[in-house]
Amino acid sequence: MFCIIAFIVLGIISIFSASHRELAKEAFDCVFRRITFRPCTTGFKEKMKARLVGKLLNRSALAAKLFNRHFELLSWILFIATIASIFWTGKGLFNFYMYGSCNGLNKSGFCALDPKGENNKVSQTGGSCGTGEGDESKVTLSGVNLDLFPSKNIGAKDEVVLIGCYSCDYTRKAYPLVKQLISENPVNYTFAHYPVKEETLYLLPIGYCAYKQDQAKYWELNDRLFAGEKSDIARREFVDTILKDIGYDVDAINSCSTSPETNSAVVERRIELEKTNIYGTPIVFINGKGLVGPKPYRVYERILKGWRFW
Amino acid sequence: MDINKVRSDFPLLREGKTIYFDNACQSLRPQQVIDAISEYYRDYPACSGRSMHHLAVKVTQKCDEARKAVANFIGAKHKEEVIFTRNTTEGINLVAYSLGLKKGDVVITSDKEHNSNLIPWQVLKEKIGIVHKIIPSDSDGLLDMEQYDQALRDGATLVSMVFTSNLDGVSIPTEEVVKKAHQVGAKVMLDGAQAIPHQKIDVAKLDVDFLAFSGHKMLGPTGTGVLYGKRELLNKLEPFLVGGDTVSSSTYTSHEFLPIPEKFEAGLQDYAGIIGLGAAVRYLENVGFDTISHVEHELNSYITNELIKIDGLTIIGPADPTLRSGIVSFYLKGKDHHQIALMLDETAGICVRSGQHCVHSWFNSRNIPGSVRASLYFYNTMEEVESFVNNLKKVISVL
Repeated sequence: MFCIIAFIVLGIISIFSASHRELAKEAFDCVFRRITFRPCTTGFKEKMKARLVGKLLNRSALAAKLFNRHFELLSWILFIATIASIFWTGKGLFNFYMYGSCNGLNKSGFCALDPKGENNKVSQTGGSCGTGEGDESKVTLSGVNLDLFPSKNIGAKDEVVLIGCYSCDYTRKAYPLVKQLISENPVNYTFAHYPVKEETLYLLPIGYCAYKQDQAKYWELNDRLFAGEKSDIARREFVDTILKDIGYDVDAINSCSTSPETNSAVVERRIELEKTNIYGTPIVFINGKGLVGPKPYRVYERILKGWRFW
Repeated sequence: MDINKVRSDFPLLREGKTIYFDNACQSLRPQQVIDAISEYYRDYPACSGRSMHHLAVKVTQKCDEARKAVANFIGAKHKEEVIFTRNTTEGINLVAYSLGLKKGDVVITSDKEHNSNLIPWQVLKEKIGIVHKIIPSDSDGLLDMEQYDQALRDGATLVSMVFTSNLDGVSIPTEEVVKKAHQVGAKVMLDGAQAIPHQKIDVAKLDVDFLAFSGHKMLGPTGTGVLYGKRELLNKLEPFLVGGDTVSSSTYTSHEFLPIPEKFEAGLQDYAGIIGLGAAVRYLENVGFDTISHVEHELNSYITNELIKIDGLTIIGPADPTLRSGIVSFYLKGKDHHQIALMLDETAGICVRSGQHCVHSWFNSRNIPGSVRASLYFYNTMEEVESFVNNLKKVISVL
């Protein structure tokens, strides 16, 4: 057992230390002999054991004695710990590739490959930023009437839904990736603005009215709002300028946005979005699977296309 | 002897980090030997006995001086009786293959032979059918002289024995062994690898026919050795290796060998090594064998007295340390000898040998896996042996 653990440990060390490579080779020779049902006659284990016990002896005779007596048991423990560690490392790498987090889909916690947890961060309702305190597992599209929200390419086999806020940093990070995803793949795309920051509340009726007035121009409006400076989003004049640039009838939209019918439509849509158990933005649903926070592009693409490792 | 001055001659000992107790394998080299080797490569790196230029003349002169020094060192009557070899093994093989042994010839050895003085006879037994007789030792490692006498009475061609065993440090009664062998007309070769560095040997007085030893165990460079042989015997032997520098002339169909020692020294020699060996011999003569013996016995006595107090420890050979030269070889039942040696190195930088010391036959016949061997030399100190004993006890306590 010691040979295996020594091979693993020395193999890793020898990547960085040339002086350990010969030992790693010796350990490999020992492992190879064992797996080919031959005795390991090189004395590698005894040599390493003596060296380790000798080093310990200079510090503590008791520790050296215990180490020597329970050497095989310690080797087993270390072996199991190493295998477990390799398994968890592998699982972490797999999760990071698949979901953008070492801990799994929408799971927060430390990840060495994403130490700041950027791929899981959301802007929470009320405007604070960070990892949301909601329950990611409860995020769902079940029972949500998506027909109420702006959509394009209706009838496509795959479906992508982005629920985000125009002034949310993380939605702004996810938006270009989602846009790339829908441009490269024929999907039924739905967008819903969920104003986690109060200064963007006024965009709900404007968006509703703009989509009602001209569906095609609505997507350009979306692009312009996400492309603009975050600080400008709260300024009504800025939005009016965009509407005008795109070719919307600004007066008609302003008139529409203050109507009682629009108000009730906006409320209805907010109630509908609450059914998703949303607690922050962005949330991207791809064929019903909810991804909280801005994920790497490969994650979106893999979930859309299924298993792909290239 | 000023031990501090002596130790300052050895670069490794100057650092004081290593306790070197593996002198039976090879000794350390003093600066004087290292300088002699360097001088050759630096000042006259040429061939000896071939070219006529001034560098070649210088090398020839230096090698000749080394040969004379070695001859004087062992009491040889003539410098030509000293043949430079690579080591003891080569010297023994030279005799084994040059002596003209034939089927039925009897070669007698002891039961504690280094593989160097065992394997050649086993091979000759298989190849040409010589008879190889092994004389046992008693429980103290002393040669059973009764069985030796009996073997001689039964007839012997050659007695080839280890002078001082590298296993336990015990020397055979060489004068008696040689005298008795000569009485029945047998020739005698001694493996002097462990004897020459530790005691004064006079080959003429001993009347031994051949004596092989190594340079690297007596402060000399590795890859150097000597075969001493009586001139009249060497003249009769056919050379073992032939070729360059062994002949005075040759035609396409014939050749004429040079006289000894050249006819046995084929090819370009290790001139730096030979010159270094000469320097080693001079260094040893300056130290003196009385001093060497005194230091070794004193240190060995201390170690022995301490080791016999350790439960389960067995010293190979006689209890009397004065009979074991500078060697203490021991084993502990149930404890791995390699682990003990490695831990001594790891804990205190103490270098000892572990294993079967190339005397596998002795260990295998007794089902003993191996031993730890501490072998001392004149540059070792009481502080070092105290450290060895203390650390050995510490190591054993955790095993």
